[in-house]
Amino acid sequence: MPFARTTDRTGTVFSWLCGGALAVNLVLAIGLVGLIGWHGLGYFWQASVASFELRDGSALIGEIHTVEEVPEDSAQWAGEQRMRVKIGNRDLYRLDFRWVNESEIASIEYPDDLVVLERLEWGNFYGRMRELRRDGEVIASGPQVWTRFGEVYEEKAAEREAVEALERGPIGDVNYAIEGLRLQRRRLEMAGDSTAGRLADVDQRMAAATARYEALAEELFAMREELKDTTVVMEAANGQTREIVVGEVVRSLRPNAMGTLASLRLYGSRLWEFVSDAPRESNTEGGLFPAIFGTVMMVFLMSFAVAPFGVLAALYLREYATEGPMVRAVRIGVNNLAGVPSIVFGVFGLGFFVYSIGGTIDQLFYAEALPTPTFGTGGILWASLTLSLLTVPVVIVAAEEGLAAVPRIVREGSLALGATKFETIWRVVLPAAAPGILTGMILAMARAAGEVAPLMIVGMVKLAPTLPLDHHFPYVHLERKFMHLGFHVYDVGFQSPNVEAAQPLVFATALLLVGVVIAMNLVAIVVRNRVRRAYSTSVL
Amino acid sequence: MVAGSDTETEAAARLVSNARFADRRTWSDRIAGGVVRAGGIGIIASILAIVLFIFVEVWPLMVGAVVEPGPSLAVESAPLALAGDAYRTHVASLDADGWIRVRRLADGVETTAREIAGGGAPVAASADSDGRSLAALTGEGAVAAASLQWEIGFEGRTRVVTPKISEPSVFSVDDVALGAPIAVRDSRDGDARVVAAATDAGEIVVFRRQREVNEFTGEESASVAQSTVAAPADLSLLAIDDEQRSLVGVSAGGLLHRWSALDPAAAPVETVDVDEEITALAFLLGGRSIVVGTDDGGLEVWFETPQESGERRLTRIRRFPPHQAPIELIVPSRRDKGFVAVDRAGVAGIYHSTSERVLWRGSLEQPVTALAMTPKADAIVAGGPRGIEVLAVDNPHPDVSVWSLFAPVWYEGYAEPEYVWQSSSGTDDFEPKYSLTPLLVGTLKGTFYSLLIAIPLGVLGAMYVSQFMHPRLRNVIKPTVEIMAALPSVVLGFLAGLWLAPRVESAFPALLLMFAAYPVVIVATGLLWLQIPLRIRGQLPGGSEAIVFAVALAAAGAACIALNGPFEALAFGGNFQAWLRDFAGVQYDQRNAIIVGLAMGFAVIPIIFAISEDAFSNVPRNLVSGSLALGATRWQTVSRVVLPTASPGIFSAIMVGFGRAVGETMIVLMATGNTPIQDWNPFNGFRTLSANIAVEIPEAPQFSTLYRVLFLAALLLFVLTFLLNTAAEIVRQRLRERYARL
Repeated sequence: MPFARTTDRTGTVFSWLCGGALAVNLVLAIGLVGLIGWHGLGYFWQASVASFELRDGSALIGEIHTVEEVPEDSAQWAGEQRMRVKIGNRDLYRLDFRWVNESEIASIEYPDDLVVLERLEWGNFYGRMRELRRDGEVIASGPQVWTRFGEVYEEKAAEREAVEALERGPIGDVNYAIEGLRLQRRRLEMAGDSTAGRLADVDQRMAAATARYEALAEELFAMREELKDTTVVMEAANGQTREIVVGEVVRSLRPNAMGTLASLRLYGSRLWEFVSDAPRESNTEGGLFPAIFGTVMMVFLMSFAVAPFGVLAALYLREYATEGPMVRAVRIGVNNLAGVPSIVFGVFGLGFFVYSIGGTIDQLFYAEALPTPTFGTGGILWASLTLSLLTVPVVIVAAEEGLAAVPRIVREGSLALGATKFETIWRVVLPAAAPGILTGMILAMARAAGEVAPLMIVGMVKLAPTLPLDHHFPYVHLERKFMHLGFHVYDVGFQSPNVEAAQPLVFATALLLVGVVIAMNLVAIVVRNRVRRAYSTSVL
Repeated sequence: MVAGSDTETEAAARLVSNARFADRRTWSDRIAGGVVRAGGIGIIASILAIVLFIFVEVWPLMVGAVVEPGPSLAVESAPLALAGDAYRTHVASLDADGWIRVRRLADGVETTAREIAGGGAPVAASADSDGRSLAALTGEGAVAAASLQWEIGFEGRTRVVTPKISEPSVFSVDDVALGAPIAVRDSRDGDARVVAAATDAGEIVVFRRQREVNEFTGEESASVAQSTVAAPADLSLLAIDDEQRSLVGVSAGGLLHRWSALDPAAAPVETVDVDEEITALAFLLGGRSIVVGTDDGGLEVWFETPQESGERRLTRIRRFPPHQAPIELIVPSRRDKGFVAVDRAGVAGIYHSTSERVLWRGSLEQPVTALAMTPKADAIVAGGPRGIEVLAVDNPHPDVSVWSLFAPVWYEGYAEPEYVWQSSSGTDDFEPKYSLTPLLVGTLKGTFYSLLIAIPLGVLGAMYVSQFMHPRLRNVIKPTVEIMAALPSVVLGFLAGLWLAPRVESAFPALLLMFAAYPVVIVATGLLWLQIPLRIRGQLPGGSEAIVFAVALAAAGAACIALNGPFEALAFGGNFQAWLRDFAGVQYDQRNAIIVGLAMGFAVIPIIFAISEDAFSNVPRNLVSGSLALGATRWQTVSRVVLPTASPGIFSAIMVGFGRAVGETMIVLMATGNTPIQDWNPFNGFRTLSANIAVEIPEAPQFSTLYRVLFLAALLLFVLTFLLNTAAEIVRQRLRERYARL
């Protein structure tokens, strides 16, 4: 009895240690998702803006980001608290953040009249509004500036939209047409002299397009000038003033004067900007729409490639091939491809798709654009195909499992009723296996959405000027480079010039990516469980 | 009757149509079967063709040079020196009558010629090994050197090369006759020419001619500086390096002398004994390595290496497989650290210094009197009494060999053979260093630290979930861990590199404290758990402790972080990094192997967890029940029955986890400094094979050596992970069979 008890006691302790290991996993998983969620969602929240008075007489305006203990290696301030303040005004101070030690601070206040201007360039401006000027003349000053600014801002925002619409619309079209004509001309030149008449025609159209471009450019210039006519004079913390063009202000707020509802509205509007706008300031501000679009489009292109091929291969392996050592070896091989590092597929995609196939396509069909490659460089098509190679084993394995799970009796019933083998597969087996195949597809898409390494080689870029889908014929431009959420995380987090200021944005991007991937996985898990239950409870 | 016949025809028609329908169905079935078969086999074959494609891209690295006979020119006498142009259109030769003749290779027509050694046959000749100039020692004891210019123009779309021979510059010393050997070297821009010649008085005269062009008038002027250095009387060979920095000479008894050409001193800077009589001499590209050929057919590479004393000394670096006859001539490649050597029997070879490769050997079928390589190193020009032959050389990847990729290589300027990865540099004459060993070591290092974390957490966690946890709870926990597997590695890398790394750097002792505190906290929490009356405990599903542990561990983690300061003060004198530097002599990098271990461990845990959970929960119930029925406790059953039975499954889980860690790219790319250094120190960064591919391949031109070496790295990764996964899969299948039998 005492012997039994001792062993049991050590046994319990060991089982606790195993439980502890599991607990660590849980803490890590939940903590990590929580961390990303906390920072990612916090990105859109507007903190109050503090006005500091320092002991040396200077002043500061900014948002308090973190408060921590001063690291021990600075002997002077050891043991004290310090805060990291986002002071913005990059055009004045060059840096977005600075550290303030507690003992330096004389007072902190949160006055209502502090204004935050989100600008197209130079990041945020923190300060007070002093004057509003139009064509150099003061049109408002003192307390009315804020209300008057609101009106002017609306007007200018509409004007800015018009400028952007002109740039994106007619000017973009003309540029596209000019580039097309240039290539056409080059093609004719390469074909030889016999086409001289057509050459003249192209030249004529080119001249017309260029003239139209010039007219539009003039219009654009005038509109831009008009956009610049109204300025707001802002006073920074230490009394420096700065004249800011109202047309370059994205958003203006007085965070300390905002109620809860206004704060929430602002939160919503920032969230919307994040998912619907184009990036600004080398991706560190503005939205992520092109990256979201690029990711989604790439994943869908990949699905188009991977679904039929994966299912076809699974059908062959499960229904047509004669079971034997050969098929078993192939199955292990395919299964193991899922474990081959993604970068290997990237290397293959570069060598095979981009250089071999893309290079050949360029020489055959796009010779006029050479040496600028069209398909012979990374693009969304090659990225999707590379990813489909990467994920096809996942789909094959899942589809095979789905096919194997369809009970024998169902097939035999169908065959006994006189259906041919293909009819049985097409009408009976595939519909029954569809949820399993779907699970595989969702898992493949989730994997593709989160994969970055191979895409860095075959087609992603930091900033793509155009989407791979637009209103220019043939509408889908498979050769174009694209932006991707995962690459955005890598690029902004590690390659951007202002990593510190961009980090909150990266958290938001990471949250979006993690959210999409986890949602897809959850759907796959639910579908899988449903399928399992359906088969375990069915009478078949 | 009529009606009857009607139904009969109808039935017949129906039969026919049924038969047609059946026929069509059979056919469509066959076609569909064929399509599926062809498609399935095609898809599987093309997936497997990936590895074939990668192999095909790598293969040219292993192939030597291909040399094809090209055009040949008939000559009246054997040429003394030769040079070719970059487009293999012309060959210039310095002939025995003192004339330089340039002939077109296409038709053998002499396009231009000039006499440089006035007054008869030259006594000796020399070619700048870059083919920019030819020099002759005249019978009167003067050296005449003329530059060759290859002017390139276009006629329509065809390139036309127009050769020009400049007015020779003559170097002589009053009262002293210059003698053999001589050497000439032009600078890259062609403005500075250094000529060295021996005298009977046991000296070498070094001339440095500087050409200056007046920017306003376009007038050219030249100044010649002259200096003299002491030399052995029996000097037989001389050579000047590309940078015109040093001069080497050879004297009887196999002595190799080196002087500084910049600052000619009275005596050689250094003399070394090569042991055999030296019969040929050349500087390799970059002017650091010297190749000597000896009269027993040996070929050796020498360069200066730093000594412990701080000075640099000429050292024998490597020997090549010898020729059968004394080496006659050596010319360097102008593209890489390779060279061509020819022996007295007319056998030539192409060699590369860094990779120690013999890329080609073959007979030129005549005694060779002059040898040159074209500027693009794509042809050998060899001249002898039977004429001048141009051999086309296809030698795309001389600079790597299996040996140089994996074994230590003695690179120029290094004190000893080392493993180095350094693929590019700013200069043209850079010696690329492609050693995959530091990257392999980096890969294994990252994998090691991540498995160190992932194996215990994954396997023990899986054991707990499958053996101690109630199914209801299990159904919640398992998806949670599966979600861990779905987190994109770029997000993990970002968190590790930008969030975790600075925090760990400032609170490393807290991390140590956590590792130490965790078992204590768990046992303490467990004991507290036992204090809860069984009545309440018994109602909770089995395994609920784990949730309590998680809360306790989170709290303990926070406490450890709070205690970082006092603990650091107590154990490490207040500054861990300073302590590490003083006591272990180790520098703490912010992004180090521990960070990667944590992040990549996190990525590998769910894989190990899932596969080992599978292995544990598939252990046949009857084994477990039998053990419990015999009176074993739960833990005894788990440790003595379940664990041994499932151990192959755990092995397979570890293999798959290993494979995942080996190939992970984004985490290591973002969470290490990517420095290709080779050590096992956990506080240093490293670079893995996969991260190396991601970093370097955007800069690698298609089909360059770097491109193919990176493909080789990919092939290695492919083969490694494929083998690991296959081994794991086979083990798992065996295990499944065993379970079925039990």
